[in-house]
Amino acid sequence: MSDTEKKTTQSYLEQLKQKALSQENYGGEIKYEQAGMQVYDCPECGAGRALADGLTVCAYCGFKFMTVTLSDGIHIKKIDNS
Amino acid sequence: MSNPLLEPIHGISLEDYSAACAKLGSGLSENEVATALGVELPVWQEANLLWPERMKEDSTFQIVTLFGQYFGAADQHPKFSNLQATVSEEGAGNIQKIKTDKDFYQELEVARQVAYDHGLDGASWITDKYGITLGDFQVAASLWNEQIHKDIAADYQKYNQTQDAYKQKYTQLFANAQGGNVADDIEF
Amino acid sequence: MFGFFKNKYDNPALLEEIRQTEEKWFVFLDKLETRLDELCTAAVPELIAVFDQDTDPYKRAHGRMLTGLIGQINQMRQKAITAKEERIIPFMYASKSVLPDLISGAGREYHDRLYRFQMACFDRHHQFEDKINEGITALRSAEGNRGLEATYQQQIAEFERIKDKFLCKQCGGKMSIPKMYFIATYIQCPFCQTQNTYTPSTEMQLLFHQARPLAEQRTAHLLRAYETQHPKNPVLYQQYLRAMFDEWNKITPDMVAENERFYLRLLKDHSINHY
Repeated sequence: MSDTEKKTTQSYLEQLKQKALSQENYGGEIKYEQAGMQVYDCPECGAGRALADGLTVCAYCGFKFMTVTLSDGIHIKKIDNS
Repeated sequence: MSNPLLEPIHGISLEDYSAACAKLGSGLSENEVATALGVELPVWQEANLLWPERMKEDSTFQIVTLFGQYFGAADQHPKFSNLQATVSEEGAGNIQKIKTDKDFYQELEVARQVAYDHGLDGASWITDKYGITLGDFQVAASLWNEQIHKDIAADYQKYNQTQDAYKQKYTQLFANAQGGNVADDIEF
Repeated sequence: MFGFFKNKYDNPALLEEIRQTEEKWFVFLDKLETRLDELCTAAVPELIAVFDQDTDPYKRAHGRMLTGLIGQINQMRQKAITAKEERIIPFMYASKSVLPDLISGAGREYHDRLYRFQMACFDRHHQFEDKINEGITALRSAEGNRGLEATYQQQIAEFERIKDKFLCKQCGGKMSIPKMYFIATYIQCPFCQTQNTYTPSTEMQLLFHQARPLAEQRTAHLLRAYETQHPKNPVLYQQYLRAMFDEWNKITPDMVAENERFYLRLLKDHSINHY
């Protein structure tokens, strides 16, 4: 193997490495967010949501927080339907 | 007989889920997708974990097959019809084109693969150059899949020749951009 | 006499051409192999370096470099295939066509020589293909340490640190997150009963998808025990699979029901496919 040939491989490899590292990942870099807590009050009447009243409908004014019927999932269960 | 594995999860049907995945791929956020489906984020995230679990469980591959079909029809899904990620005018034209022009799709599919073979992210290359998102590209793939299988069955040679021509074109393009390939100097 | 043995076929130029073509083919593949070897040897440490430098949780820079390298190797593979199809095989046919018919006996030694040429060239090509596959395998296994276990332990520590630091967004009451969640979930305030929505950090959410690789890493020795035994013992595979799922369930206990259904499917697939 001549030196020129070694150089070809080396320079190709170096270029490939830079290309791999410098490209932006699809969709941009991942935005890391901290854990957080939020609360969703009823946008119609401002009432909060209590567990006993279920997750889907406002117990006070009937506003639909969600238009679906919940099934038995991982943490959310059928009994969470209002 | 209905398959219990096809029952909706928290009211999110497989059709909803497939369209949601396509829209996530086109640049919508998880919150936007959840809102379009009429649910809050925790409900969407559960469905988003549980549908793939159903697929893993389904040894008949029925769910995966249907997923592909519904994914391809995401643009027609009523819950997402008013919701598009913002794209440039040119991008919008190309997104339309890739779903209506089979040759355009096939050429870009080859280009994408050849880009990967040259150390580039093929999906990003397509987005940068044509404004077509990964989601839209995958939608086009599922739209053309069946027709391409028919083409191959009808005239394999023609299909192969076209593919080879695209391959040659893009291999040249990407190889030139990187200053050639490592074994270019070795000839029989 | 009928003169059967007088028609001995003689074509030294062809013999020379066969020799030269064979030699050229061998030299060509030798060169490609040397280049392949050189590329792989130099690339393995670079791939590991990129893996370690890559801050993306999916290691996509490493992935791009790997597919680029495999692309180059496949290019060498294609070069050999093209040369075989365009130079070796046509040469065989062209040479055969000038020889006397095989049944005449006159060109027997030439037919034998061509046959030996074909076998030698094809064998050499098989060897080259094996080298190509070995090279790809070496590149694919050139990864740095993902540090899955360390990341997981860090996240456990991080969760312990933050779990009691949340306040109810409605009444300001102190809230405690009862366990490590990987997805957003509802948590009730113990004071005002309001449903709060807790969203784990991005890192925690990403960790969910590392649960299986981590479980596989923890039980890799059992898979190796199965894979290295010949003939394969299905009991060892079952032991591995059970242990892997036990670990997986420990990492994501909320998914036990789903994992167990997947476990049964894998167990069934394995018994159908292999025994």
